[in-house]
Amino acid sequence: MLLRLWPEKTKVSFMNLRFVALIISVAALLASAAMLATRGLNLGIDFAGGAVIEITQPEDISADDIRAAVQPLIVGEVQVNSARGTGPNAPDIAVVRFKPQPPVGDETGDEAQNRAGDEVSAALRTLVDADLPDGESRFEIRSEASVGPKVSGELFRSGIIALSVALALMMVYISFRFQWQYALGAVAALFHDVILTMGMFALTAFEFNLATIAALLTIVGYSMNDTVIVFDRVREEARKYKKLELSKVVDLAINATMSRTLLTSGTTLLALLSIFIFGGPVLRGMSFALIFGVIVGTYSSIFVASAVVLLLGIDRGDKPKREVEGFQGAG
Amino acid sequence: MLNFPLWKVGLILVILVWGTILALPNMFSDGFLGIEPREPSDPSNQVAMAAYEQQMQEVEDSWWFLPAGKLNLGLDLQGGVYLLMEIDPAEIAANRLNTVQADIRTALNRNPLVERNPPVQNEDRLTIEILNPEEDMDEAVRRLNRINPTIGTTQTKLFNVERTGDQFIQLTVPGNARTALASDAQSKMMEIIRRRIDPDGVAEISITPQGDNRIILEAPGEADPKRIKDILSQAGRLTFNMANLDQSAIRAAVTSGRPPPREILVDSIDYGQILINRIPELTGADIATANRCFDEANFPAVCFRLNSSAATKFYNLTRNNMNRNFAIVLDGTSMSSPTIRSPIPGGNVIIEGRFSIEEAEDLAAIIEAGELPAKLNFLDERTVGPTLGAESIAAGSRASLIGLALVGVFMVLAYGLVGGFAVGSLMANIVMIIGALSGFGATLTLPGIAGIILTIGMAVDANVIVFERIREEQANGRSPATAIQAGYERALSAILDANITTFIAASILYMVGSGPVKGFAVTLAIGILTSVFTAFVVTRWFTVLYLRTFRPKRLAM
Repeated sequence: MLLRLWPEKTKVSFMNLRFVALIISVAALLASAAMLATRGLNLGIDFAGGAVIEITQPEDISADDIRAAVQPLIVGEVQVNSARGTGPNAPDIAVVRFKPQPPVGDETGDEAQNRAGDEVSAALRTLVDADLPDGESRFEIRSEASVGPKVSGELFRSGIIALSVALALMMVYISFRFQWQYALGAVAALFHDVILTMGMFALTAFEFNLATIAALLTIVGYSMNDTVIVFDRVREEARKYKKLELSKVVDLAINATMSRTLLTSGTTLLALLSIFIFGGPVLRGMSFALIFGVIVGTYSSIFVASAVVLLLGIDRGDKPKREVEGFQGAG
Repeated sequence: MLNFPLWKVGLILVILVWGTILALPNMFSDGFLGIEPREPSDPSNQVAMAAYEQQMQEVEDSWWFLPAGKLNLGLDLQGGVYLLMEIDPAEIAANRLNTVQADIRTALNRNPLVERNPPVQNEDRLTIEILNPEEDMDEAVRRLNRINPTIGTTQTKLFNVERTGDQFIQLTVPGNARTALASDAQSKMMEIIRRRIDPDGVAEISITPQGDNRIILEAPGEADPKRIKDILSQAGRLTFNMANLDQSAIRAAVTSGRPPPREILVDSIDYGQILINRIPELTGADIATANRCFDEANFPAVCFRLNSSAATKFYNLTRNNMNRNFAIVLDGTSMSSPTIRSPIPGGNVIIEGRFSIEEAEDLAAIIEAGELPAKLNFLDERTVGPTLGAESIAAGSRASLIGLALVGVFMVLAYGLVGGFAVGSLMANIVMIIGALSGFGATLTLPGIAGIILTIGMAVDANVIVFERIREEQANGRSPATAIQAGYERALSAILDANITTFIAASILYMVGSGPVKGFAVTLAIGILTSVFTAFVVTRWFTVLYLRTFRPKRLAM
């Protein structure tokens, strides 16, 4: 017998659960909003500016040594974190972070940031190479990023614009392919997913950066994908059973697509888990967002998107209304 | 839906084979399956290098049937420096206005002389006070308008000439001129940057414009952003000025703060401070070539050759000023202030200083590339070292393989044989993504690898939707053939709708994203296209082939 994630014929009444789901969703949204308001997002340097310098950390130099060398050059706190290198015999890694530097004299903020970054690199090199003979070096920059205030502001704005444009375009597309009630339902679900994911980032203090925006956009795409599959089935069942109560129609559609929903979410989650676990530290934040987003997106296409459609009702006029059918197959 | 006429099968095969051919060169990126000649350990050994390159060429020639394009690895995977720089349009305007001051002087000095106070420049605004406005005003305005230069290849004039008050003329740089200046400066600066960073034209650096006044530099393999920024921070303004090394005159100028008329004090790398003539004899524009060389004591130095008219000028200058000093001044610092012992013909000049080889090379590149029209501001700087890049590639490939294996096992467990077909088309999908990325010359970044893995997870979706439909239809008592037919027909609209919305998200990401994020958008978008194709065409073809060959009573799924 082949693996079944969902029994073949089911009649679970999802829409009867929609008020329970409403309470859960509203509570989660409120919690997210509260998290965002009180803890805020842990903005990475893409959006907050500042610098992150990652070097290999020799055994005889401690994080405190590094902090002591760098702190005098920097206004505000310098964070130094040490991490084990990945792989056997890999040297340890030290990550030095500091916030955007205030300009001195007639410098611009960008120049101040740039100067601080150069000074810190030079100080780190001096510290690491202090006891070596002249001309030898064991200093290795693994990665370095320094973002001035001008660009970080722009990146943040363009990220927000990208999200908004994506939401708007999807709404237009769905209204075009379905009815406007579906579009509202779908967009409600997308907002739900985006806000919950951001709330999760506030809660866990995972770094929120450009890759996270990319993840959010992908979540928007994925959640939409999921929602469309359910909607497509709702539309089909609504045509087939014209007299049936709408909530029953929605239930039929959800039950029919449930096996697919679980299988697709399952394979996507398997792929994402493999990135999260094996993909290295650079991709961890992004894959975390995607994993959370896929779970929330699956939930929302059932309990938010469909519930909103049920709330708004759909146009089921008896005369076969000529909808834009495009590539609708001959059902 | 179950008909696969010969032409359709042919088309599928052509697309699959084409994708495979495009993807194939990547298999050979690390040494043509081990038959690549070994790179000599000492790159300065020219005989060994030449032999190596010839062998490489022969190996490449023997693979002539493969396309040349391989996946470009992003800076986050191969390591390198990314720099976003900006030029300030107001500064360019001010600099440009400053350079026409000499023309203004000449124009107003012509007979009949226009009497005026020295022009006062405040950023991109130049005010001239005319002393006899009744007689000279109209003539002065006419002459200024005549010397008003056009910008670059445009028809835009540099400044507006306006009268303010009774006796003032104001030159301002209008907005359209600023824009023209900025874009003119942008293309000039891109060229200068290239010549400074990569004087020999061998490195694979990329320099691209962004907006009107920004430039992106990407230098793969470079690990030291500081060196690049140092080379680009220098204005590179080189002049030859007559110099005055008289110690008492210098001391007097330093203490009083007032150098003799027509002279200025500058720092000198060998004498503390020296006095030089305010007006230079030659400028950087007179230099034909510059390169690193060695001086008589075998220290690295910078040699350069003047162009022919400047060489004549320099010969006359040295002949007329025997036993005096001249200074070679770079960005306000005298690099060298030799005494003229004999007239110097030929226009060959050497700057001696105790440089390191690298310093001398960088200096030569800066001098030869010429002066930057404005200062570059560094806005965003990212460096990835080669170690982290290699680790990212390893982690990315590991995650892809594990992800693929997990999804494959899951699909076979869920759908049996047909699930196996889906896994087969999933493999084809990955080959096609890699082929498409190589063919378009797109850049693969670490988030791009994540995009491929995500596509692996999501690509099965189209298959799953279809399989679920087929299951339903079979459960309703249809035969395998009609169930498959109905399954594919019914699933089409849902699959297209779902994938178009994801495609919208990917396109927006491509438009607003930068660097690694753009790489993610590209693989996601390509992945959507290929996965719809493979699920809808390739898996179906496999299934139909199976159906025709074995004629099963029922599909086990």
